[in-house]
Amino acid sequence: MKKKTFILFPLLAMFLSSCLFDTDDDGLSSWLSDQGMPSSYKVQMVTVNDLKPTSAELFKDSLPRSAGVFGTFGASAGMVHDAVFDFAVDSAFLADLKVADSAKSYLSLYLFDAVYWSKVLPSTVLPIEDEVNVNISWTLSEKLTDAELNALETVVDSEWIDGLKSWKTKKTADTTVSVSITKKDSVLVLDLPSAFIDDVRKNSGNRRLQLRVSAPEAPHAYRFYGPSVGLLVSPILYMVEMEKDSYRGYRSLRAATLISNREECSDCLVLHGGVKDSLLVEFPSKPIMKALSDFYGDEFPYDAEDVRQSVVMAQVTFYRDDSKGSNELDMPIAVEAYTYTGDKDSLVCSRDNYSKYNDSLIAEKGHPNLVFHDGDSLTLQVTTGMRDFINRASDGRSFKMKMVLDRSLVLDKDEYFYGSNSYYVNSKGDSVRVFFPYPDYARYDFSSIKNTSTTLKLWLASKRGEEE
Amino acid sequence: MKKFISALLCVSSFSFASMIGLEAMGQEQIAGGSAAMAGRGFAGNAKTGDAEGVSVVNPARQAFDTKVVLNLNFLLDVSTADRSNSHFTKTNLSMPSMNLSFPMGDFGAFGVSLWQHYAASMREDFENQEENQKAKIEYQSSIYELVPTYAIRLPFYRAISLGASAHFVMGSYTRELTLGPDNSEIDEADAWATNNTDVSDYVNGDWEIKNHPAYYTFAAQYRGRMASYFFSFTTPYTLQNELEYNFRYSETDTLVPAKHIREIRVPAMLATGVNYRFNKRHNVMADIAWRAWDKDIENAAGSWNLSKVTKTQNDFNISLGYQRDGSDIFYESYWNRITYRAGVWFKNWYVQDVSEIGGSIGAGFPLGRKGTMLDLSIQGGVRLTDDDRNWSESYIGIRLGLLGVGSWGKTRGQ
Repeated sequence: MKKKTFILFPLLAMFLSSCLFDTDDDGLSSWLSDQGMPSSYKVQMVTVNDLKPTSAELFKDSLPRSAGVFGTFGASAGMVHDAVFDFAVDSAFLADLKVADSAKSYLSLYLFDAVYWSKVLPSTVLPIEDEVNVNISWTLSEKLTDAELNALETVVDSEWIDGLKSWKTKKTADTTVSVSITKKDSVLVLDLPSAFIDDVRKNSGNRRLQLRVSAPEAPHAYRFYGPSVGLLVSPILYMVEMEKDSYRGYRSLRAATLISNREECSDCLVLHGGVKDSLLVEFPSKPIMKALSDFYGDEFPYDAEDVRQSVVMAQVTFYRDDSKGSNELDMPIAVEAYTYTGDKDSLVCSRDNYSKYNDSLIAEKGHPNLVFHDGDSLTLQVTTGMRDFINRASDGRSFKMKMVLDRSLVLDKDEYFYGSNSYYVNSKGDSVRVFFPYPDYARYDFSSIKNTSTTLKLWLASKRGEEE
Repeated sequence: MKKFISALLCVSSFSFASMIGLEAMGQEQIAGGSAAMAGRGFAGNAKTGDAEGVSVVNPARQAFDTKVVLNLNFLLDVSTADRSNSHFTKTNLSMPSMNLSFPMGDFGAFGVSLWQHYAASMREDFENQEENQKAKIEYQSSIYELVPTYAIRLPFYRAISLGASAHFVMGSYTRELTLGPDNSEIDEADAWATNNTDVSDYVNGDWEIKNHPAYYTFAAQYRGRMASYFFSFTTPYTLQNELEYNFRYSETDTLVPAKHIREIRVPAMLATGVNYRFNKRHNVMADIAWRAWDKDIENAAGSWNLSKVTKTQNDFNISLGYQRDGSDIFYESYWNRITYRAGVWFKNWYVQDVSEIGGSIGAGFPLGRKGTMLDLSIQGGVRLTDDDRNWSESYIGIRLGLLGVGSWGKTRGQ
């Protein structure tokens, strides 16, 4: 009886409530509207034309980089690439070499066929047939004990690479090398000058040999596999004792690429691809604040953090002239934007993702953030940076952004544009390559940014009420 | 116990709270929101008896208790707001209070109550693509009070007791409004930029009392043979709500939070009540509680066309109730052992131009011989409004109270 009572009451109440109360479709929206609450945020747009940067500064990348997976030597547009190898040479073979009447040496490099044999490589890139003047320089250590020689295996690569910033050439020799790269070649053999092997065989005992290969006048930068990929494609230094026809091949323990910028024009804003050159552009706050003030009819900047509205999307569009640049791979190159956020005294620079795609425009003209591409403008999304800038403009900051040349784009009119994956799987199950996964050692001159006007386009979400 | 759990599970599938005063403090739970009190129209703070326990309005009452009373209350309700031809309904579940009173004989009585004094709760979303509308709204506010009480009968005049309680305030406020884009003002060619971009206006913060650990209630009670009276005074206090406003695109992508502290000056409250007993087990009772608000309440608002303040008015509550006590002789018929209650109330809300008329019936079902009781009350009524923002509401609800009475520390026959 009691149990029935307990269950009966609530059931009765539920039944009553379902009969008496229900919600009509417009009920909630009209209640929200009576409360003064929005039922969506109004998107409003403000465009700032004729925005001129107050400064544009170039930061050149000059740090040595690991050639563990692939390295380069030679020259690309405005850049010289030197390859450095680290070898451990043992005393037994050096003793043989020392007593021999003659000896030879050559460096065997496996061409980085991931690039050269790539299906998406434009047909204009190969073949490469170059006669290249190569400069070889080397350092030989003092005699090492067996333990010290073995310990070379365990040197931390990054420490060694860092030490190369202060590379001092002790001995050097020149030679000429024929470089032939076609879709069939996989090995590049550099005959090293006799001065090199003659100098090495003067020595005895265990030695550490570091060898630098430089070809600043080369018409191309040649890509080769580094020692981290596997024994089969590692760079190998062969030293041959001619009389006995005996030889030893020394696998490079580690390798690095040293880069140097050879741009002659000091005022030009030239970015290079494949390295971390960056261009810092600074825009004044005033015209942006004025445009916002004209649009909303109140004070900008606000006297505290401005949350009256917020940036949903921001785009800057620069004038672009591809004729002053050059690229190797004949594909458009994406430009990455970096912006600044945080307190004025401790700004953090981070990538502002190209995250929203204007599909109809992309299908017709391609992605807007490309150079070496049709058209004469470059449009970058700077939403996060611009949102933070307008939010905190009261501290007197200006709007700063950085530009870096990113990867080459294989599919420039495809709606897929992933930041990390270079391919996607289409509806048929095929992998479709979007990006070319290795850098184009391109050069792009952004000097015109200083003198031409830029357009800033803002999409804003407002929290303002109607009476404001 | 199985019966109780099955009943609770059954009714917890729906519930209630008012939509008025969401931006201020929300709905007030009258008289601690106890199910027994609700059954008699929230009257009877002056009523003494074994099963009464802690009263947050009249802390002096429990001095007359002789047994330990533990009481848990649940509230379930359906509320419909309507204006012109529009209406919408929502349901909610809450636990307005739990109380424990502990009589210590000549040393008085100690009690503690956890009371959800004010609560605002709402979670709705709707979408209308034709009108560019997409919104999700969530309010979650509760102002809890931990109320230790102490009461003692005067040694030289045992019919009068004095009591005091301290109300330690805590709780949180959250409002989240998630909105989709309305591209009607911009060119169609530019609409791509807001695809899947919802923005969220998120406000949250804590409640506490400004510059003081608690506010206090002092009360005096007279218990006569037939009639009992009480009078209580509650000190004014300033509620402080420290809010942080976030305008965000995702939980990790947000503008710099804006911080703001709003202060709400809650006035002193005077309360009095009478209980008249006749024919042994029949009681009629009436209570009045009154507060004079002189300051408006700042809203959490701060954006769009939300009102910046909630205007206040003198807030009072008049209750009339009847109770027939159940027999405590366990071998009497079950129907005779049930306590029956009925009551009506009129409440002027702290929100200007809002008043509430309600009525209730209730019963207390004894469970077993040991003094455990299940209080059930069914209430219904209307909240009338007379302004542009708040809609009038009608509501029905069920309150459940679980009451445990024990003779702790007493030997048999004492």
